[in-house]
Amino acid sequence: MAVHRRSTRPRFTLLLLVLTSITLLTLDYRADGTGVLGAIRGGARDVLAPLQDGADAVVEPLSNVVQGIVHRGDLERENARLRAQLEAERGSANRAADAERERRALLDIMDLPFLGDIPSVAARVTSTASSSFEMSVVIDRGTAHGLTRGLAVVSASGLVGRVAQVSRQRAVVVLLTDLRSSVGIRLTSSGEVGVARGRGGEEPLRVELIDPSVRVAKREVVVTSGLQQSIYPPGIPVGRVRSARVRHGRLEQDVTVDPVVDLRRLAFVRVLQWAPGG
Amino acid sequence: MIARRLRLPVVLLLALVVHTAVLPRVRVAGASPDLMLLFSICAGLVAGAERGALVGFFCGIAADLFLQTPIGLSALTYSLIAFSVGLVQGTILRLAFWIAPLTALGASAAGVIVFVLAGAVVGQAQLISSKLLVIAASVSVLNALMSPVVVRVVRWSVPAPDVGAKPVMAG
Repeated sequence: MAVHRRSTRPRFTLLLLVLTSITLLTLDYRADGTGVLGAIRGGARDVLAPLQDGADAVVEPLSNVVQGIVHRGDLERENARLRAQLEAERGSANRAADAERERRALLDIMDLPFLGDIPSVAARVTSTASSSFEMSVVIDRGTAHGLTRGLAVVSASGLVGRVAQVSRQRAVVVLLTDLRSSVGIRLTSSGEVGVARGRGGEEPLRVELIDPSVRVAKREVVVTSGLQQSIYPPGIPVGRVRSARVRHGRLEQDVTVDPVVDLRRLAFVRVLQWAPGG
Repeated sequence: MIARRLRLPVVLLLALVVHTAVLPRVRVAGASPDLMLLFSICAGLVAGAERGALVGFFCGIAADLFLQTPIGLSALTYSLIAFSVGLVQGTILRLAFWIAPLTALGASAAGVIVFVLAGAVVGQAQLISSKLLVIAASVSVLNALMSPVVVRVVRWSVPAPDVGAKPVMAG
């Protein structure tokens, strides 16, 4: 009588695939995104870019309609808030003009980098991260436009993030809110410095190293500190303080900061071609 | 008419475009559907453990090319999950309509957790967060909703394996 014995080939195939995956993992991890695998990654992004742009062109109008329906209440509330904010800021515009003239004169004397003089490349955001664990966007500029890894990225309001991967025609920008993001910051009222870290999703940034004795005001603006060879030029708005709490016995305050940039609705950004000390 | 051998590469390419350009717009509780994982799961369901693992490996490599995590992490995860689904599929005599969504629900959640744990082992500890279970639940529900369509596409594009094991004469 014939006896059927289960084939061992599937297990052998799985073992081979697992070993291949681990080998690739090891090679890419050690190369830190560069080398042959990094080049393949960049090439794949460039090759797929036209197809992604085509899909984006088809889907975006429908996506806008759906977003408008789903977020209609949010849009109406934000519209009212922005109108009120505009009225308040018109009153302070003249006072700001005097302060701006004084600030420019001070910066000229101290030879600090002024954001407006830093060469930059304008870029359009083409897509967001395809993973639920990453907070990043893809922009339509790459090495062909002078971009390199590590460049700071800003929008009209303030800091967005940094360039993490770059191919010939595309670049991946890791946002401030990403779990791997950290940026040296300075509180504008006291000058105290700290480090703001991303916590993923729509969570506010957590700021570390703020001494408990420092007074931190709610809604206070925090800017990049530019210290310790930071890739971010100093003085770029990062966010506004959401909360500051001193816990008994702790060596630092619990401070959270809301990014000034609405990272959910990025359309256009600028990549700053600036290096520490340059 | 697409030659049978070209079906899978073409479908994988289209799936990758949808995965990277369309589905990131769909966010529920901070998570978006993982079409490449779902494709791997459906391949295991339709074509068995070995072919499922192979499809999962290439789906994972394709997904890894567009992530910040090292290449090979998704390939490892998807091939293991698809193989596991294929093993269970071998015990099912007939694919009822509810099997694909139920399988996608469970296997997607397992896939997300395996991805994070494997990532933590290779230095990607930032993947572990308090929202892991929420993300796993969201991805699994979204994948389950897409599974009836994806399983049909996979059945059309992935060749089914040869039926039966080799008989061995008893001594």
